[in-house]
Amino acid sequence: MTTITFKDVCKRYGQTQALQNVSFTVERGECVALLGPNGAGKTTALEILLGLRTANSGIAQIDGSVACTPQSSGFPDALRVGELIGFAAAHYARASSVESVLEAFDLSSYQNARVGGLSGGEQRRVALALAFAGNTDVVVLDEPSTGLDAESRRRLWSQIQTGIANRTTLFTTHYLEEAEALATRIVLIDRGNVRFDGTPDEFRSRFGAKRVEYVDGSGSKRVVASGDTDAYVRNLVHSGEPFSQLTVTQSSFEDIFLSLTGAAS
Amino acid sequence: MNLRVLAAHIALLFRDIARTPSFVVPAVIFPAMFFSIMGVPFARSNAAIANTITASYVGFAIVGVALFQFGVGIAMERGRPWERYVRSLPVSIEVRFISRVVVASCFATLAAGLVCLIAKLFTPVSYTLEQWLLLALYAIMGAVPFVMLGVAIAYVAPPRGATPITNIVYLLSAYCGGFWIPPQYLPSFVAPISPWLPTRQYGELLWSVANGHNPTHAVLMLGYFTLAFTAVAIAAYRRDERVRYA
Repeated sequence: MTTITFKDVCKRYGQTQALQNVSFTVERGECVALLGPNGAGKTTALEILLGLRTANSGIAQIDGSVACTPQSSGFPDALRVGELIGFAAAHYARASSVESVLEAFDLSSYQNARVGGLSGGEQRRVALALAFAGNTDVVVLDEPSTGLDAESRRRLWSQIQTGIANRTTLFTTHYLEEAEALATRIVLIDRGNVRFDGTPDEFRSRFGAKRVEYVDGSGSKRVVASGDTDAYVRNLVHSGEPFSQLTVTQSSFEDIFLSLTGAAS
Repeated sequence: MNLRVLAAHIALLFRDIARTPSFVVPAVIFPAMFFSIMGVPFARSNAAIANTITASYVGFAIVGVALFQFGVGIAMERGRPWERYVRSLPVSIEVRFISRVVVASCFATLAAGLVCLIAKLFTPVSYTLEQWLLLALYAIMGAVPFVMLGVAIAYVAPPRGATPITNIVYLLSAYCGGFWIPPQYLPSFVAPISPWLPTRQYGELLWSVANGHNPTHAVLMLGYFTLAFTAVAIAAYRRDERVRYA
């Protein structure tokens, strides 16, 4: 059953086309990553979905109760963590208790701490806790781990995984690793267009599972992601072009993403 | 209206403001402080003067809360990322506005109450219970245009400019409206414009409790100011919505 629908959504800011006929759906219980580089249109899509912006055309709708986490925390500094979570929970009929939300996000010891005095990582955990406090059908997370170091990010992912169980989730990210760790499906968005919609495995098989690295005749390092690295190497050898230090390795999501969006250049 | 949501907004706003010295000091403490320094020495001379000066500083306190709560408060909020989060919650604009009115009323009561307490303790103020109640009624009624002026400032001024702009509007209009100096003693370049200020009309309304004058003209003038400020506030709000959330 479809819970989130985007159908031909277009959004323009002046001369900039932020979203161009964006269409995809999220089924009940799915966790979908809306993946793309900065400026791809991810946040605009979420803001339209949440009613914070209006689309120029198209439909964006949610079937069920929804809660979100803000991208930039920017909380009122003087408020305490427990007060903020209680505030969020008060808006929903089936809200979780403040204590259980604090515990789920490892915030119990910060219940009476002023949010302005927390570190960046702790504030991100509070932001996430706000999205789960209402115990809603749908949660929308905007770049949940932005600004965190690798270790904090992984810790946060495990908390998100606990929270999104039995829930429909749509989250934006520009970390391919995050999409792979959390999502059951990836929607790749670039310059306002949907470039891919499928599972992480389909993403890999379609856009290349391996990468070829070598130094060309001019001494420049070349990196190519390809679905058929054997053919690529064969063609390279047959071309007669001088090269050295050729290696073929498993592509990371990052390689595929950069190759696909052209951001590598 | 969902009372649980309303209560949550009132509680959060109250805590946020009560823990913000940049609001509490100018809006709640300053009127009592100014009254103690500038009002009490004159008010001690006789009951009639004490009644008038007390009414002036009650007005000064209420205007301060209205302008800072709605002007600075909304302006700073709309510039914060937190505002986007709050807008994503299932809550109507009416609930948010009512919560702000309730919280402003609490702080206004506190600010004006401090002035009244000082007057009662250190001056020969001689209002009867009926007069105190009438003063409170007029103080609430007359605050409406200042609430709308605050909202207008909040949406016209940039978030960081709202505090200095509000301070200038507050202090200048308090002085020119006759809250600190009786209108008849205002300098000659201020006296002609004084009757055209909302603070002066608010003062006339409050002073009528002490001097027994008919407040009809002041009420009408405050009504006109309310209409004008509301029109500006709505236009500025709509423009801000178009810019931020279109």
